[in-house]
Amino acid sequence: MNSYVPILFMLGLGFAFAALSVFTSLVVGPKRYNRAKLEAYECGIQPTPQAAGGGRVPIKYYLTAMLFIIFDIESVFLYPFAVAFNKLGLFALVEMVLFILTVFIAYAYVWRRGGLEWD
Amino acid sequence: MTSSAEAAGFWILAPIAVIAALGLLFARKAVHAALGVALVMVILGIFYIMQNADFLGVVQVFVYTGAVMMLFLFVLMLVGVDSSDSVVETIKGQRWASLLLVVGLAGLLFFTIGATVVDEKTVQAGIDKVVATNADPGNITGVAELIFGQYVWIFEVTSALLITAALGAMVLAHRERLTPRITQAEWAAKRVRDNRDVAGLPAPGVYARHNAVDTPALLPDGTPSSKSVSRVLVARDQVATTDSLRDVERHMEREIEEGGAK
Amino acid sequence: MTAAVLPALSNLSTLPAAFQASEVNYVAVMPLFIVFVTALIGVLVEAFMPRERRHRVQVSVAVGGLLAAAVSIFWASSNLGLTMGLSDGSTNRSLFALAIDGPALFLQGAILLMGILGVLTMAERFGGVGPDAFTPSGASTPGSPVETAATRAGALTSEVFPLTVFAIFGMMLFPTTNDLIGMFVALEVLSLPLYILTGLARRRRLLSQEASLKYFLLGAFSSAFFLFGTALLYGYAGSVYFGDLSSAISTAPLAMNGLLLPGAFLVFVGLLFKVGAVPFHAWTPDVYQGAPTPVTGFMAACTKAAAFGAILRLAYVGLDTARWEWSNALVIVALLTMVVGSVLSVTQTDMKRLLAYSSIAHAGFILVGVLAFDRTGVGAVLFYIVAYGFSTIAAFAIVSLVRQNGAEATHLSQWAGLGKAHPVAASAFAFLMLAFAGIPLTSGFVSKFAVFSAAVGSGATGTVLAVVGVLCSAITVFVYARVIVLMFFSEAPAEKVEVVTPSAMTTFSIAIGTLTTLALGVVPASLLDLADRASQFVR
Repeated sequence: MNSYVPILFMLGLGFAFAALSVFTSLVVGPKRYNRAKLEAYECGIQPTPQAAGGGRVPIKYYLTAMLFIIFDIESVFLYPFAVAFNKLGLFALVEMVLFILTVFIAYAYVWRRGGLEWD
Repeated sequence: MTSSAEAAGFWILAPIAVIAALGLLFARKAVHAALGVALVMVILGIFYIMQNADFLGVVQVFVYTGAVMMLFLFVLMLVGVDSSDSVVETIKGQRWASLLLVVGLAGLLFFTIGATVVDEKTVQAGIDKVVATNADPGNITGVAELIFGQYVWIFEVTSALLITAALGAMVLAHRERLTPRITQAEWAAKRVRDNRDVAGLPAPGVYARHNAVDTPALLPDGTPSSKSVSRVLVARDQVATTDSLRDVERHMEREIEEGGAK
Repeated sequence: MTAAVLPALSNLSTLPAAFQASEVNYVAVMPLFIVFVTALIGVLVEAFMPRERRHRVQVSVAVGGLLAAAVSIFWASSNLGLTMGLSDGSTNRSLFALAIDGPALFLQGAILLMGILGVLTMAERFGGVGPDAFTPSGASTPGSPVETAATRAGALTSEVFPLTVFAIFGMMLFPTTNDLIGMFVALEVLSLPLYILTGLARRRRLLSQEASLKYFLLGAFSSAFFLFGTALLYGYAGSVYFGDLSSAISTAPLAMNGLLLPGAFLVFVGLLFKVGAVPFHAWTPDVYQGAPTPVTGFMAACTKAAAFGAILRLAYVGLDTARWEWSNALVIVALLTMVVGSVLSVTQTDMKRLLAYSSIAHAGFILVGVLAFDRTGVGAVLFYIVAYGFSTIAAFAIVSLVRQNGAEATHLSQWAGLGKAHPVAASAFAFLMLAFAGIPLTSGFVSKFAVFSAAVGSGATGTVLAVVGVLCSAITVFVYARVIVLMFFSEAPAEKVEVVTPSAMTTFSIAIGTLTTLALGVVPASLLDLADRASQFVR
């Protein structure tokens, strides 16, 4: 448990720094508002409005995110395997290679069918 | 049974987790609901660590909060933060009936599970065993020995789930390109060949407050150029009118002058 | 107190001093391996085969792989026992993930054979390039120009074949797993492909996508129940293995029952959802109606087989020693399932919904067999699953042929007078209806007789169940008779409804399904005998 104290400390430090910066700029900074300044992005670019009639939005990002999760989970299994590699022996190595190959078949499919291209 | 630090941590974090979970149900905005779930996931990760399952706790945060919740959030962003479900009941009285059943089920589970007497010694023996495992082969090695030992079959079968997920994502969310892709060079060649817009289409308009793609540029005679905005935006009826933009520009010039005078 | 909880204590997963690898009996798990590899080959074909050849190659890979797996069951059957795990010497427990035994192999074989028929009906393209049952582009908006372009380009969602094989893999695994975690993973492996397949209909895509979403949400919900139950049972027994669970029930103190009962009920909820038992049946009609018809047939036959296999294993191996605690709840579920399924099938006007409610009623009849709690009950359930599965695949295959203006004509009024214009198809369908009703000389009669006699033999509760079962069968006879009367003695509707001539593949499926229904009705002895010999679980 004690090994988490530094993490807790870092967390506290992070919060403190964020709070301090916001507070300081609140007190010190000049305040001259106009409409452009009050917009979400102060650069003249409007946040994209909802399409008229609630139009559909292509969810290409979904595919990317889903693929990320798949390989994320693969790496979760890789981590204990790598840590305990010396104890596990040949059987586990074969199992892990089979697992990686299996998931890479999915990768090959996605790559060949253009799932990795954005448009 | 539990150390006082663990008990304190539980009683501080558990109510927050419950409130966050209720936030999922009652938050009006989808983003708030998703953030509530993220909070629940993080607290679950902390619980796992408090119960000596370090690896599981980190993975919980890593996968659920890191990956799954971000997927939720970004999909929500793309679909539109404003979208909310219609809450019209199609079957009359359904909401009350289901509420009654839910309360009944929750009460039943609460009282039966709550009435269970767990033997302290058994629990302590289990905790001792976990602590011993964490000390000797180490937490992650212990997990590895389980995954590649007695649960190796389940581990391998998980790959079937991952492939199915990839197939499903591709089938349901990926539009296969049926026509060959036109490269930039081909577009340029086509423009020259057709002798139309040889220099490329005009850029969107740049105004004092707007230089976004939805604002048309002005032609020399002051009329907006339809070529300067994407036809997708035109089709979606999302193109800004230049009149208002020019009004705004004048208005702003005044504001800035006033500001300077102050 | 301490002495009483010792078994639970020793169950807490111990780590052997040195890492111990799993023992694997490769021959016993060969069918599972072959199906898994078949699915992987299917994905590779998707990746590297040009589009024009994909469909044909996918069908041959899937059917070939499933056939090979079915053949390998013969070798597996001489290698019965627990495998894929290890024996813990210090506590003398066997921690094995798979139980290769009679019911498991019988169901694996049944699922493989029904799966082959399912794949063949899914491969139907009616001689052309367009009109298969699946959308050319699942990601496009229904009715959009993109969809039209995809149709014109001859795009096909041939991913359905590897997905189906993955589903078959999960279904074969479901009754074979020997622990709750493995059962959960198998449940997900079989469900995920089905959720996707449900949403891929070529026509009425919004209905199909809605069905897919409903199935997914409710399925995820029931999986959560299953997991919650698993957690409680683990808390109770200190182990997820069925053997440990069973022995913990006979030794653990009564005070722990607060974990056992909710755990058992929640796990059963997850499984009963998959078979569509009332009150967990709400998804069935919508999903059966919305899914592409060949998928519906496959799903109705194979999911039911897999889920009843899992219910059998849980009820006879994992929770058998606590039977008196939970069997009454299952009796109520069985009664409700039979009554609701058969009564609501009377009011249906859509053929696919009618068959969906009929499948709910059949789930109730099979549950009666499960509740017999002896080997004859297991044998009867195994026989029922095969009989119902083959009939239902053939029935849905015929439904996919009856069309009006190219679209499937599933409204009952469209089936009026079909017997005069298309006597062969209508007769085959009428025969299958008779089988569903349980008329003698069909497999339906033998299977109902088997489960009800097993139930009567088990005692008073079983007798009540059997009586209600017979009464409900009588109600369903009315429903099926109405369909037959409609087909043969009514005037055809004004707009022409035709039976499309299928390719050899669908014809084969329908023929095999119908002939099996007949054969199991006339000479059921050999399969009954096989089911009886296969009714012994290993622990």
